[in-house]
Amino acid sequence: MDELLAVLGYKVRSSDMADVAQKLEQLEMAMGTAQDDGISHLACDTIHYNPSDLSGWVDSMLSEFTNPPPPSAADPTAVLHNNSHSAGGNGGGESHKSAVFRDDSEYDLRAIPGVAAYPQADESDKDSCRKRMKTSAGGSSNSAAVSSPSSSSSPPPPIAAAAAPSSALIAEPTRPVVLIDSQEAGVRLVHTLLACAEAVQQDNVKLADALVKHTGLLAASQTGAMRKVATYFAEALARRIYKIYPQDCLDPSYSDTLEMHFYETCPYLKFAHFTANQAILEAFATANRVHVIDFGLKQGMQWPALMQALALRPGGPPAFRLTGIGPPQPNNTDNLQQVGWKLAHLAETIGVEFEFRGFVANSLADLEPEMLDLRPADVEAVAVNSVFELHRLLGRSAGMDKVLSTIKAMKPKIVTVVEQEANHNGPVFVDRFTEALHYYSSLFDSLEGSAASPSSPTTASQDLVMSELYLGRQICNVVACEGGDRVERHETLTQWRARMESAGFDPVHLGSNAYKQASMLLALFAGGDGYRVEENNGALMLGWHTRPLIATSAWQLAR
Amino acid sequence: MARSNEVSINESKQMVVPLNTWVLISNFKLAYNLLRRPDGTFNRHLAEFLDRKVPANANPIDGVFSFDVIVDRATNLLCRIYRPSDTDEPPNVADLEKPVKSESSSTVPVIVFFHGGSFAHSSANSAIYDTLCRRLVGLCRAVVVSVNYRRAPEHRYPCAYDDGWTVLNWVKSRAWLESTDSKVHIFLAGDSSGGNIAHHVALKAAESESGIEVLGNILLNPMFGGELRTESEKRLDGKYFVSVQDRDWYWRAFLPDGADRDHPACNPFGPKAASLEGVKFPKSLVVVAGLDLVQDWQMAYVEGLKKAGQQVKDLYLEKATIGFYLLPNNAHFHTVMDEIKKFVSSNC
Repeated sequence: MDELLAVLGYKVRSSDMADVAQKLEQLEMAMGTAQDDGISHLACDTIHYNPSDLSGWVDSMLSEFTNPPPPSAADPTAVLHNNSHSAGGNGGGESHKSAVFRDDSEYDLRAIPGVAAYPQADESDKDSCRKRMKTSAGGSSNSAAVSSPSSSSSPPPPIAAAAAPSSALIAEPTRPVVLIDSQEAGVRLVHTLLACAEAVQQDNVKLADALVKHTGLLAASQTGAMRKVATYFAEALARRIYKIYPQDCLDPSYSDTLEMHFYETCPYLKFAHFTANQAILEAFATANRVHVIDFGLKQGMQWPALMQALALRPGGPPAFRLTGIGPPQPNNTDNLQQVGWKLAHLAETIGVEFEFRGFVANSLADLEPEMLDLRPADVEAVAVNSVFELHRLLGRSAGMDKVLSTIKAMKPKIVTVVEQEANHNGPVFVDRFTEALHYYSSLFDSLEGSAASPSSPTTASQDLVMSELYLGRQICNVVACEGGDRVERHETLTQWRARMESAGFDPVHLGSNAYKQASMLLALFAGGDGYRVEENNGALMLGWHTRPLIATSAWQLAR
Repeated sequence: MARSNEVSINESKQMVVPLNTWVLISNFKLAYNLLRRPDGTFNRHLAEFLDRKVPANANPIDGVFSFDVIVDRATNLLCRIYRPSDTDEPPNVADLEKPVKSESSSTVPVIVFFHGGSFAHSSANSAIYDTLCRRLVGLCRAVVVSVNYRRAPEHRYPCAYDDGWTVLNWVKSRAWLESTDSKVHIFLAGDSSGGNIAHHVALKAAESESGIEVLGNILLNPMFGGELRTESEKRLDGKYFVSVQDRDWYWRAFLPDGADRDHPACNPFGPKAASLEGVKFPKSLVVVAGLDLVQDWQMAYVEGLKKAGQQVKDLYLEKATIGFYLLPNNAHFHTVMDEIKKFVSSNC
C-alpha cells in the first residue's frame, strides 16, 4: 500500500500506481467525450462504491463511460432503481458489471421507515389483493413459537473452543471527542466523574462514595444534556459502588416501549433500519422467494418499509417470509405472534405473499439452523438482520462463535449488522467508562437538538424522557454490570470487521445511493442539523457532528 | 513491473509531480468534475460520500492530538483543534482545554486554518486537511484551529468570511489559548479558497474596532481572480489539473448572484475594491505555485499589498502544481514548511 495515500484515505498498492494513473487518464478522456455528447448526466446517475479503493472506483467509472447502456425506455416514474447487479458491491476489490444503474433515489422515499406505517384496512384494496394474497401468516406459525430451553447450562461446545476472539482486545487507537459545552462547570463535572471511576477501579470505596455525591451536586447546577448524562453516569457509578445491581430482567414490553420512543425521537433507529433494508433490497434484487431472519424482532418496526419496497418492485414482489426472534415474555403473552399478525395484515393490503414465524430464545446462541425450516439457496434468498443484537453475545465466550457459525449455516445472501460505534467492551473499567461518557454525551446532545419539535411539545418531551431512559439503561449496564449481566458490550466497526472477516465473511458495500437516501432521510426526520452520514470502506455511519455513533455494515459468505 | 507504455505517457507528469501525487490530484479533479453541474448546482451528497474524512483523535499520534468544538450552536459551526502533546499519554478530557502556555512554552502561536476546496469542497475533517494541520502543529509548535466554514453554493459570500470572523473572535476570547502575556498570538492561514478567506478575515479584523491583532497571514496558492483573463490563465488552462472553466464555476457558486469576478471578495485589489493603504494589516507570506493558472492573480495580490505599504513575502515555486503541499514527497513541500516555520517563529 502506498503509505502517503493511505494516510489521506486512499488505498492503492504501489505496484498498481502506474496502472491507476493510466486509467485516470483514460477516464478523463472518456469524461471529456461524454460531456461533448451531452450525456454527462450519466455521471450523476451512477452508483459509487467504496471510494477508498481508488483502483476499483476508477475501474467502475471507466466501465460506465466506455459501455454506456442503451437509452432507458423505462417510465420516468419507475420507482426502484435496478439493482440487478450481483452481490451488491465490491466484495474485495472486484469491479462491477458494466450496466449503469439509474439512480432514481428521488422516488425511493417510500422505502423510508415511518412513512410505511401500518395502514388502515381499506376494503377496495382487500378485494383486489385477495387473489394474489396468500396469508399463511400466523396459521402455519402456531407451532413456531418454539421456546428454546432457557437452561442455565451452556450449549454443546462449539467447534473451536478457542479463547474469546482477540478482536475484543484490539486497542482502538481513535478517541473522537466533540466538545459542545466548554463551560467551567461542565469540565469540573466530567473531571469528577472520571476521578470517581478511577476510585472505583482502585476499590477506594470511601473516595468513590464522596466523589459520586459531589457529582450529584455538580450535575444539579448544570443544564441540558450534560446534566442528564452526568446524572445517569453518577447513578450507574453509585450502583457499582454500593453493589446494587440493576436487574436486567425488566419486562421486555417496557423496554420495547422505551425503544419505540427512541425510534420516534431521533433518527438512529430509522437510519439503522433504512440502511439495512437498502442492503437487503439490493441482495434480494431478482429473487422470487425471500426469507428474512431478524435477530431481534421487537415491534417489527423495520419490516413495513421493506415490505412496501418489495411490493413496489418492478415485476412484482417476491414471496416474503419473516422469522422473528425475541426473548421470553412474562405472562406468556406472545409478542412475536402479535407483531406477526400486524405485519400479515399489512402484507395483505399491499399484496405481498407473507409467512411469519416467531422464535423465543433467551440468547441467540440457543438458535440452531434446523429450527428455521431453511429452504435451498436457489429457491429462497436469505437475509440475516441484526440491529444492536450481536454485541450482547460478547459476554459469553463461544456465544459469538456459535452464532456466527449458525449464520453461515443459514447460507445467507446477505447479513446486515448495525452496531453502536464505540468500544464499551475494553478490559479496563476507567477506559470503558471514559469511552461511554464521550459516546453518550454526544448521543444525549443530539437528542436535545432533535426533540425541539414545535408541533406537539408535550409528546415531544415525553418521547425525550423515554428515549433518555432507554439510553440510561444502557449506561447503567455498561458501567455497573459485569460478567454475564453486562450485555451492552459495544464494539467498533473496525473490531466487528475483523471478527466477521476471520469468521469467513466478505464485506458487501453500501453505495452512494444508500448514502444519499440516508442523508435525505435525515433532512426529513431529524430535527437537528448536526447529523452526518459518513461512508467508511463500504459501511455507512451515522453520527452527531463529527462523531460517528452507529454503523451499518453488510456481509456475505466468503468465496 | 511498470509497463513502459505507462511510463512514457506519464513521463511529462512524472517530471513535474511524483506519481502518487498525480494520482491523488487527478482523482480529485475527475471526481470534482462529476460534482459540478452546468446549472450551477452541486452534487453535495456525492461530494460528502466521496470525501475521505477522519475523526478527531484525543489520543496523541506523533505528538499531536485533536478534538472538535462546536463554536456556534446556531449555525453548527465546528472547529477542529490540534494541540501538541509532550507525552504519549492520552489527555484527560478535562485537560483538552488546559492552558497552552507552560514553563517551556511561554509564547504559543495559534494558527486559525481555513481549508481549501474552492469554497465548495472539503471540510475540516477531510483527511488531506487533517494531515496538513497536524504537520503545522509539529512544525510551529502551535495550536491549530481548523474552521469548518459553510460552503458554496449552498452558502454564498459572505458566509465563509462570517464563520472565519466568528472563530477569530472565539479564539481571541479563550483564556486557555493565551500565552504568558495574557494575549492569544493569532495567525491566519489557508490554502486555495482558505487563503482567500484568511485575507478577508484579516481585513475585517484590521478594519473593525475589535482590537483583534493578527500577527501574520499565511496564504498557500490563495484563490483570487478577476474579470480579465490573465496570461497565466490562458497559458496554463487545463494543463495542470485546473481549468479556467472550473474556476469560473466556483466563483459563480460563491459570489453573490449577479456579481462578476471583480467583486472585492474575488479581486481584492481590483477596480471595485477599497484601498488597503493605512490599514493595519498583518504581515503576509504568500506561496505561489508556478504551474497554477491563478498565479498572475496571486502575484497581483502580492503587488497590491506592497503598493498599499503592507509587508509581504512571496515565495514563488517554479515547478509546483496545486496541492503540492498535501504530500511530503517533493522538495517544494519541505521548502514551504521551512518558510512557514520561520514566518511563525519570527512574528509570534
